[in-house]
Amino acid sequence: MAIAVFFVAAALAVLGGIGVVAFHQPIRSVLSLVVVMLSLSVIFLLLNAQFVFAVQIIVYAGAVMVLFLFVIALLGPARELGRGRLRFQGWLSALFVLVLLGLMWGLLQGVQYRQPDKGDLSFFGTVQSIGVGLFTTYLYPFELTSILLLVAAIGAIYLSRKRIDDV
Amino acid sequence: MSDIYSNPIGHWVVIAVAMTLLLFVVLTATAYTVWFERVALGRIQRRPGPNRVGPFGLMQLAADGVKLAFKESFVPEKTDKVLYVAAPAIAVAAAFLAWAVIPIGLWYNVQYWIADVNVGILVVFAVSALNVYAIVIGGYASNNKYSLLGGLRSAAQLISYEMSLGLALVPTFMIVGSLRLRDIVEYTVHWGPYVGPIPLIILTPVGFIIYLISAVAETNRAPFDLPEAEQELIGGFLTEYSGLKFVMYYLAEYVNMITVSALAALLFFGGWFLWVVPPVFAFLLKVVLFLFLYIWLRGTFPRLRYDMLMRLGWKVLLPLAMLNVIVTAIILVAVEG
Repeated sequence: MAIAVFFVAAALAVLGGIGVVAFHQPIRSVLSLVVVMLSLSVIFLLLNAQFVFAVQIIVYAGAVMVLFLFVIALLGPARELGRGRLRFQGWLSALFVLVLLGLMWGLLQGVQYRQPDKGDLSFFGTVQSIGVGLFTTYLYPFELTSILLLVAAIGAIYLSRKRIDDV
Repeated sequence: MSDIYSNPIGHWVVIAVAMTLLLFVVLTATAYTVWFERVALGRIQRRPGPNRVGPFGLMQLAADGVKLAFKESFVPEKTDKVLYVAAPAIAVAAAFLAWAVIPIGLWYNVQYWIADVNVGILVVFAVSALNVYAIVIGGYASNNKYSLLGGLRSAAQLISYEMSLGLALVPTFMIVGSLRLRDIVEYTVHWGPYVGPIPLIILTPVGFIIYLISAVAETNRAPFDLPEAEQELIGGFLTEYSGLKFVMYYLAEYVNMITVSALAALLFFGGWFLWVVPPVFAFLLKVVLFLFLYIWLRGTFPRLRYDMLMRLGWKVLLPLAMLNVIVTAIILVAVEG
């Protein structure tokens, strides 16, 4: 059952990823990215990471992508401009895809699969275990990240204020 | 009874039956919420309300449903057809998904819920966050300026009030120490001779008030029904929708209303515990009372202006919710040492 769900979610994630680059209307690209996010959240759930599953949807699908959607909806249903300027972009992307595939192939050489450890999964991935982790083992990285976020938030407020003053 | 849950095949059968039943129950509940609203609003406005179809107008919804189903399904010109059709579907899917984790009751060891997950309440939030897409995409795909503005307004409103909604519940989680909805309902206190579950509103009254206001805003209901403010925006994102697609949006709105009422009952009023009332009925009674509160609000309050709505959300409710979290944390540390 879990394997079937994994393959469906993985296929949807890949299709969504293709959709992001293949669609010509920006709004469809955004929605494809939402599909990727939701598929990833399902894969997190399969890995028993319940908290990450919920947060993935709330933060990425529920907040970040909605802002993208906002901008695109306000810009109107304009189609993407012709490719006059970046004619060689397609070839360049093909090259990058080949390099990436080569890299993945190289990485997968010599990988040996094994059964996961038979640990107690009733606590793993729960809100409690993540909370304990964040406030004990990973306290310093966690606090540093919060400072980074604070700096970003202050920067955003400063930038938007300045623009209002100019007008 | 309990071995049916652990048996691998029985487990899936139980889940399939539960899902079908739940769909039926929520759909019926939605239909009669609409009836209840029309009757109650009628009484508030001193008119009889629907009373022609069936006894007490109880079949009015069936008549309305048939009417809407046979309406011409109109799609405006030059729209994005796929997105136009997908948007109401997203609304309905998001509305029903939340019920996968909402526990209705525990009665004679029978569990009246589908899944009891560790992050229960977060799943409800995650799913209801998808509702924004239905509204923005619906507004965008209608190719109508009023629809688009209504959709964007609504999205801004949802995002703003989601914050205070989430923060309003944090004190509850801190007291209970779990996000699992069942744990929150079954939270037990030892107060002198009394040992048992209590309505958590006693411990977090401020959280409840913030939740109540934010939940009304989250479901786009009056007095916060700005996306559909007909004086300014005609019908908001609903303007270009008719027939069954309109019904789907309408259905989603009422399911969301029932969902937030159910959450209020679970998180603040002890869920299925109510004196001697049987569990499932106790839960239903609480949900109906909250639904009546919604209708009462709609019947008595004028709609807020958009800037007032934003000011209330960001400058009153959000700081209050944060303060509530801090004060609760201090009290908890002081009490538990």
